[in-house]
Amino acid sequence: MTTSKKIVLLGHFGVGKTSIIRKFVTNEFSSDYKVTIGVHILKKEVPVTENDSVSLIIWDLEGTENIDLINKAYLLGTHSFIYVYDITRPVTFFNLEENVIKLKEKFPKTLLKTVANKIDLIDDIKNEKYYKILQKTDYTSSAKTGENITNLFDSIANALLS
Amino acid sequence: MPKSTKLHQLKELLLHEDRDEIALLQDKIKSLESIIEKQEQLAYHVDPIIDKKLKQYTEDIPEKLGPTITESLKNEIANSKDAVVDALFPIIGKMIKKYIQQEFKILSEKINTQLQKSFSFKNWTRKFKSKVSGIDEENLIIQELAKTEIKEIFIIEKDSGILIANFSKTNTIDKDVLSGMLTAIKSFVEEAFKTGNDSLESIEYGLYNIHIQNFNSYYFAVVAHGVFDNAYKGKLEYELLNFAEKHLNKGSHENISIKLAEFFNNDNL
Repeated sequence: MTTSKKIVLLGHFGVGKTSIIRKFVTNEFSSDYKVTIGVHILKKEVPVTENDSVSLIIWDLEGTENIDLINKAYLLGTHSFIYVYDITRPVTFFNLEENVIKLKEKFPKTLLKTVANKIDLIDDIKNEKYYKILQKTDYTSSAKTGENITNLFDSIANALLS
Repeated sequence: MPKSTKLHQLKELLLHEDRDEIALLQDKIKSLESIIEKQEQLAYHVDPIIDKKLKQYTEDIPEKLGPTITESLKNEIANSKDAVVDALFPIIGKMIKKYIQQEFKILSEKINTQLQKSFSFKNWTRKFKSKVSGIDEENLIIQELAKTEIKEIFIIEKDSGILIANFSKTNTIDKDVLSGMLTAIKSFVEEAFKTGNDSLESIEYGLYNIHIQNFNSYYFAVVAHGVFDNAYKGKLEYELLNFAEKHLNKGSHENISIKLAEFFNNDNL
């Protein structure tokens, strides 16, 4: 049996939301940056058990630093949020905690995962300057190398079905 | 005096003027040869530069002269609208005339085909209907030919945009993605114009019309082809209400797609 679930990716401009989705859905990566305007929707089915699978309907929203500016209707009915930031640009995670709190207040029953993307661009992940933010992050990922991309969506599919 | 010397002296005397002329001509030929040779040498060096410049100039024409030409054309058209209309009217008029003729030809062929099926049950029914209603048989045929056809029906969760059920006569793009995009478009329009509780009710493109009918937690999106008038819209809304009452208001959404196909595949509308 297949169950459909709505996943919404949020975060600042240029953090790699579209690249993460493309890597997951079509296993492709391009370093050419094309800004997402409005919303783009893609789908991928993830098998969870022998008989059950989850059809992830993934909403790729245009980047914004303030989640209050997102069209509320885009967020309604979401089964899981993925909040993505760029580990190499502190400006994309300075308000991570604030945005996470807002999402949890507005959608208390919705699953939320935070992701530090572009991990391939840093040499020393154990460096002190990343420690604090990574403590508040669920996944580190790289859309370029594919690191943790499948794990992220698989864990969400499993959590949603259980 | 030897004979040869005498001949030479005689030649000197007789051909003196001719020799001067020949010498003059030879000088002129040499001078011309020199000019030609110099030009060829010059051309050898200069031609590639001119060719390159000319090529560059040709390539740059759209960018450099384009705006000027466009502006000139705009001014020319603005200043002489009547002349432009006079020039274009016969061409556009002919094109429209040809298109209408072609469409009428197709319609006429379809009507003839329908009339030729004079022994079909449908034809006798139409003749009877024509007699009873007083509407010409030809008009009834035109009504049949312009009949609206439902191509697809989607039942979509209002908030998430997730597809609950679908009935389709065509296999086009992914139904789940389409449902999501329809919901996103709908949400965008409703949010953008901030008109209170008003909802997007239809989207038109070409000969297609997407009729949207909202319910509390879900909405119907019906893709119809053909004439979508108010009478048809009213009938469709009534049928969708009926369907929702029968199958959707009971909580479970199991086998809705099958029920949807059964309900609408009979072309009751």
